Amino acid sequence: MNTLSLKERFRLSRFISGEQATDEPITLTHRRIFILPTYRGINFAILTALLLLIAFVYNNNLVYLLAFLLASIFFITILHSYKALAGLVLQKGQTKAVFAGEAAGFTIYINNPVNVERFNLQIKLEQPESLTIKPQCKTCVTLYSLTKKRGWHTAGTITLSSTYPLGLFRVWSPVRFTLKALVYPKPSLQELPFPESPSAQAKQGFSQKGVDDFYGLKEYLPGDSIKQIHWKAFAKGLGLFSKQYGGDGSAEIWLDYDKTPGHNIEERLSQLCRWVIDAERIGIAYGFSLSGLKLLPDTGIRHSRKCLEALALF
Amino acid sequence: MSSDPNKSILIFLLASIGLIAFPHSKNIPIPLFAFFYLLLSWRFIGIWKQNWLPNKLTLFFLTVCGLVLIYSQHHGLLGRDAGTRLFVTALGLKLLEIKSERELYLITYLAFIVAASQFLYQQSLLMAAYILFVCCVLLATLVCINSSKPPPFAALKTAGIILLQAIPMAVVLFILFPRIEAPKWMFFNEQHQAKAGLSDSMEPGSISDLGMSDELVFRVKFTGALPQPSQRYWRGPVLSHTDGKKWTQVTDLRFKQFLDKPVFTGSPYQYTLLMEPQNKNWVFALEMPADYTLPISQNANYQLLTSESPDKRTEYKITSYLNYNTGFITRTEYKDATQLPSPPSAKIKQLVKQLHGFDSTPDDFIKQLLTHFRQEDFHYTLTPPLMEENPIETFLFETRYGFCSHYAAAFVYLMRVANIPARVVTGYQGGEWNKVGNFLEIRQADAHAWAEVWLENKGWVRFDPTAAIAPERIERNINIDQLMPGGIISFAPTGAAAQTAFNWLKQTRQLWSNIDYNWQRWVINYDNKNQSSFLSSLGITDIKAMIYWMIGSIGLITALLSWLLLYQKQPAIDPVLRIYNRFCKKLAKYGLSKGQGEGAKDFAERIKIILPEQSSSIDQITHLFIKLRYGKNAGFDDFKRFKQSVEKFKISSVSSETAIK
Repeated sequence: MNTLSLKERFRLSRFISGEQATDEPITLTHRRIFILPTYRGINFAILTALLLLIAFVYNNNLVYLLAFLLASIFFITILHSYKALAGLVLQKGQTKAVFAGEAAGFTIYINNPVNVERFNLQIKLEQPESLTIKPQCKTCVTLYSLTKKRGWHTAGTITLSSTYPLGLFRVWSPVRFTLKALVYPKPSLQELPFPESPSAQAKQGFSQKGVDDFYGLKEYLPGDSIKQIHWKAFAKGLGLFSKQYGGDGSAEIWLDYDKTPGHNIEERLSQLCRWVIDAERIGIAYGFSLSGLKLLPDTGIRHSRKCLEALALF
Repeated sequence: MSSDPNKSILIFLLASIGLIAFPHSKNIPIPLFAFFYLLLSWRFIGIWKQNWLPNKLTLFFLTVCGLVLIYSQHHGLLGRDAGTRLFVTALGLKLLEIKSERELYLITYLAFIVAASQFLYQQSLLMAAYILFVCCVLLATLVCINSSKPPPFAALKTAGIILLQAIPMAVVLFILFPRIEAPKWMFFNEQHQAKAGLSDSMEPGSISDLGMSDELVFRVKFTGALPQPSQRYWRGPVLSHTDGKKWTQVTDLRFKQFLDKPVFTGSPYQYTLLMEPQNKNWVFALEMPADYTLPISQNANYQLLTSESPDKRTEYKITSYLNYNTGFITRTEYKDATQLPSPPSAKIKQLVKQLHGFDSTPDDFIKQLLTHFRQEDFHYTLTPPLMEENPIETFLFETRYGFCSHYAAAFVYLMRVANIPARVVTGYQGGEWNKVGNFLEIRQADAHAWAEVWLENKGWVRFDPTAAIAPERIERNINIDQLMPGGIISFAPTGAAAQTAFNWLKQTRQLWSNIDYNWQRWVINYDNKNQSSFLSSLGITDIKAMIYWMIGSIGLITALLSWLLLYQKQPAIDPVLRIYNRFCKKLAKYGLSKGQGEGAKDFAERIKIILPEQSSSIDQITHLFIKLRYGKNAGFDDFKRFKQSVEKFKISSVSSETAIK
């Protein structure tokens, strides 16, 4: 781990939001772990003081001893609290793209390389989650963060904390990974017909109908829509086939930003997003054009992802 | 944490609270104690029957009940008893409204206070151990709260470990934390439970109860030589005034200023006296005390008194001499020591005359009287018949059964009839020698009364008429273990056979006494005086040094503990993997490193192409590695062969060149 300059070391943000985001696995050490007493811990200290007072007034040595015992327990709990987090290795995992308004999930791997069980760890991005990690075990948690805008959504500070063993101290470690999820625009709620495309114009009238006309089966290829799988054949054990529709190939549309209705950019993107999803669901080949990017008509997950990515990052 | 604390936490908490309040059964009134346990059992049932728990109204009613109980049992709100009752009741009531984690913590903290309050009543080693155990359970409750669903024993273990680790630091703090006496206004002066002990008056018969009591009064540790058992008289109140039945102290002791200074001869005996808590401020010194320090003072009867509260264990350093001469008698003393309630009866006068009380020297008369006791049909017993009227005459001429008080009273009375100044001295005699701890233990059973006669040129001289009638009483102790109420007194046997029978019992008892003595001396009695003398023996003299030492030792303990706690051992690697890694390292020297995620087999295939000469050994190693690490039936032979082949594996210079290329 690289060393911190003095200025960085005393920056307040380290205590709350953690250090610079990183790609590397993070091992929790004294540099990243912070400890403060909880309200219960403060009350425990007050209890100790009260016992000292009783011992003083009654000049009772055993009450003194009990008070000192509690004081040392309080003190030693600092070490135990630190031990609750120390040595854990956090590693970033995969993220999945989501539509705006949905929660983006960030997977974090937590490795406990030592022979100590970690009880009741709290990990929090937006919602706290608690987990217990057995000695020398690895777990993964997916933390969700609500997205609002399209584009890259970076995971904020992930805080791992614990009050184990006695709840007198809260030990926490804020970490930041270079974790970001792609957020597609929110699909428009309006159900507008697909735009008329130059090639489809000629066959207008039956192109839309033709989509639903089944004309044959072809061997399934990865990327084909699940909706088009001929499940009956699959159930009979004949293998995977995709249904082909009359409109396929002949009926294609162009989704063009410039021709998309909408009051502003976001509305237009939102509409385009909706069309991409709809087209993909029905299985029409669609071309895509967005400020310089031009994708030829096609179907399949890869194609739709390309389109949605372009929309997200426009 | 959910709002409904789970069952195991509650069971832990309630069990520990049941344990913590239990020893209070003696200290708080029965109704209150019963009320507390009613609440506790109610809450216990409530773990399984949630809807049986009281609602707000019932709870209010219960609170009123509790307050009424406290009020009816005790007047006032301050002080040890009232405080304990208040905390116990509050704890009981709080149990019934556990809603969240916050309440659990509050209850745990209250329980710690109730635990501490036990120490205000009893400070024995056993109690301390018990409370330590209960604290461990309380901590385990906290561990349970903070680790979701731990196995209960793991929680108890964690709590135990934390507790054990805390002990060294607590001890350091205990030793070094400056003890300051609380200002007087902070003391809650309360009359403690009546303790049996010597009283300031004597009516022959009143000491018979003490003869049975095993309770410890004080302990003595001698720095040098030890006086003979028959010389061990521990002086208590001196009773000069009598009304014929009852003997009391004289109240006017102003004659002290006219007393001669006693002259001491012989060798001094230096000792430390550790007095158990007492009602009276008497300090029982070996006759005759010569040197003592504050807060002890001596009254006109040579009895030592302390000016501090006697209800705590206190240690005194005293020097005594066995040979002393108190010098002349003052006029007041003479008057007091020859006082008679009424002119003696003819029968008494006759006896004194018969023993030459009127026509010989006091020495002769005393000798005659003691011989009289010895030769006539006098008996020593702890359960004498009642002598309501004229006890001395009844004793001397009719019953002739009695114990030390009877003999002392009769002796002094007869002296006074012969116009010889005499008085009764009460105190303790003897004591049991604790071999393990090398100290004397003086118990209530050792209470004694003897006489003191003023003789010309000798001063006050001790005479023990009991010694004349029952010399065993003085030379040996009453064997309390064998003592049967109403029976004949048996003195500690000297026979070897009887001795061995009780030996182990006695030894354990002495060992325990010794532990208890050290506990009392070093823990319970560790006050500012003891602390400063102990610390100065370590070279810590002022508060600054104390603070340095405190910081230093806490730092040291912390460092040790951090090392112990935070040093995490690397998990042991499978020896097979370790050997395989060695093999990989050998190859890596020649630039053939195993890729991340590359399987052993793939790696072998890859390097076989580069190192064709080694292909057989590479194959063997890889095969054995896979068999040992992943296979089912790999034996120790395989491991040995694997190890050997890795050790033998060597890349020849020719092939290494190709590898580097």
